[in-house]
Amino acid sequence: MEAEKEGAEEQQGLFYRQRLKAAVHYTVGCLCEEVASDKEVQLSRQTIAAISEVTFRQCESFAKDLEMFARHAKRSTINTEDVKLLARRSNSLLKYITEKSEEFNVERKTKKKKKLEDENKDSLEPAEAGGVGSEN
Amino acid sequence: MADSDISDNEPTTRTLLRRVLDTEAPRTPRRRQSTRAGVQRTPLGTPFSMRLRSQTKTTAGRQPHRARSIGRLAHIQTRGQLKEQTPRTLLENILLTAPESSMVMPESAVKPVPAPQVVQFSRRESSPGSLELQLPELNAPTTLAPGRLTSGRRKKRLRLSEFQQGMDQGLPLSQGPVTEPPGNTGASSLSSSLNLTFATPLLPQSVQRPGLARRPPTRRAVDVGIFLQDLQDTSVATALPGDRTPVATLPTDTVLEDTQPFSQPLIGRSPSVHHSLPYPSLSAERTVSRRTRSSGPGLQNNSPGKPAQLLAGKAEEVDALAMGFPNTSSSTSGEDGVEPLLGGVGEEVEERMEESMSLSEVKEAAGAQASARAEEPEAHTEVAEAEGSWGAIEEKEPEGSSRDKDTEARPELASSTPEFPRARQLEFLEPAPPTSTAVGLFRQQFIPAPSLSSEPLEPLSARLPTRVQTARPRLRQDSYKMGLSHYAKLFSFYAKMPMEKKALEMVEKCLDKYFQRLCDDLDVFAAHAGRKTVRLEDLELLMRRQGLVTDRVSLHVLVEQHLPLEYRQLLIPCAFSGNTVFPAQ
Repeated sequence: MEAEKEGAEEQQGLFYRQRLKAAVHYTVGCLCEEVASDKEVQLSRQTIAAISEVTFRQCESFAKDLEMFARHAKRSTINTEDVKLLARRSNSLLKYITEKSEEFNVERKTKKKKKLEDENKDSLEPAEAGGVGSEN
Repeated sequence: MADSDISDNEPTTRTLLRRVLDTEAPRTPRRRQSTRAGVQRTPLGTPFSMRLRSQTKTTAGRQPHRARSIGRLAHIQTRGQLKEQTPRTLLENILLTAPESSMVMPESAVKPVPAPQVVQFSRRESSPGSLELQLPELNAPTTLAPGRLTSGRRKKRLRLSEFQQGMDQGLPLSQGPVTEPPGNTGASSLSSSLNLTFATPLLPQSVQRPGLARRPPTRRAVDVGIFLQDLQDTSVATALPGDRTPVATLPTDTVLEDTQPFSQPLIGRSPSVHHSLPYPSLSAERTVSRRTRSSGPGLQNNSPGKPAQLLAGKAEEVDALAMGFPNTSSSTSGEDGVEPLLGGVGEEVEERMEESMSLSEVKEAAGAQASARAEEPEAHTEVAEAEGSWGAIEEKEPEGSSRDKDTEARPELASSTPEFPRARQLEFLEPAPPTSTAVGLFRQQFIPAPSLSSEPLEPLSARLPTRVQTARPRLRQDSYKMGLSHYAKLFSFYAKMPMEKKALEMVEKCLDKYFQRLCDDLDVFAAHAGRKTVRLEDLELLMRRQGLVTDRVSLHVLVEQHLPLEYRQLLIPCAFSGNTVFPAQ
């Protein structure tokens, strides 16, 4: 019984994983098409598949690292600082992230002011979600 | 059967009975029969008598007595078999059954025997005396050994003289106790005492053995002597480039220990000397043996200018020397250990500078350079070594980045230092091409005594400090590479294949970037946690990112696997008695 449950859970996990991989593959494919059209170069399907596989594994590594960084800073939630620490390797990416984070902070401040004035909490969540999405 | 002569003076029951029987023997009419039976029964009696006698280790002198005793026993046995209930038969039975020698008395029996072997008549006289002497000995054997020895010593004289007499006469008496180990508890205490007497001379023998004595290390004296010989020989050396690389792995501790005492005279000179030299004369072949050691590795990386000419034929070390030389002069490692080394190197550099430029002097110049180089690298090696010994533990410090570079420089230097100074001198001799600095005077000064040469160098050190400061950062970079070349050598060693210089350079580059990144990460991790000092957690995070520490393998497991016990005790908290945990968290 337990084995079956575990097996089912694993299957579900695997299924979920496959879905994620498929989503990543699709996104990578779209991006590669844009780059190909931009550079006027063609990319084979194997290449796109390889890139998507690498991206997926790298995302796993990122997640683990982010969790480690957050734990290292004795926090339970992943912060923008953790993300910046993760992206420190590539300067361009780090720049981009810092810029975005600054923009986000500015937006946050202005929005906070508005919210404080309006005392409307609902706008914070979508703003944060948007900010997080832009950061990532 | 005449037993008038009773050789044994033992006042035992047996002897007394024998005397009685012997005196009464001629009276019995059955003697004739007993003699015949005695002949038949002699084999029966002999083993008994032999056994009894063997306990006391009878000698040849005793044999006639034994024969008599055998005869007596046979005589007694024959009579006993007749089953006469006379007092005589009773006595015979007693004699047969009673042990010939008791545990208490055997000494008295034996002692008189060996003592005056030759003179048997004196036995009776000496026996009481020997008995008296032996009485204290009887009590002693069970006591402490020194007691034994002391008691043995009293008799030593007798025994030895007797031994000599016995040897002269071929008596085997003394050999018995000597050959027998002192483990004869069952034997008479006399025999043990005899063993003791011979045991005493053994002690001084063991002390006299030279092999057990520890000789003080005289390495340095020998090195100096050899070095001086080499100086005087001025023989063209055959370069030994390839031999050094494997030596790089030698522990640097020993080298540093040897070089430290010599670093003192170097202290004053190094800084000024370095700067004063426009062209680091790399050709210095001869230097103080110790300096050459230190300088060799240091100079390798330091002199960029001259290297090509002088070090062309040499191994990487030589190249590094040329590279590092001008930098060595500017070496400015702030560490204390560096300065003395720098001083030492500076001295030699100065000397080179002072002397006229000449080809013949190249050797000295090379040596001076080597010394100059050695300064820096030594200083760095010292630091590096100290750090390297701590390994990952020290990486925690944010300053580790700079120190790691020094450590890299140092192990390289240290590794080269243990290498043969002669080899290095020889190497320096090879690049005899024209050198900018004249070293002739230098050589002259050095030949007489290295200590003397070090003296003039010291006063020059005062000038160096000011110059050194300006060039320090440059030296640090070179010290990185000096340290990295050490790891590159290790790499080439473990590769077990010949490697190109370019490949080694690439390895050095990679190592450089690796270490820089390592230290940057540590710094960032510490800052991320809101701290200014790098700690174990930062390093653990780094190792986790590297993949060394995983969910299955923890840091403690790695520590246990790879670090020695001393470091493990410092890292892994362990509970001791009294609810104390060390190290305290």
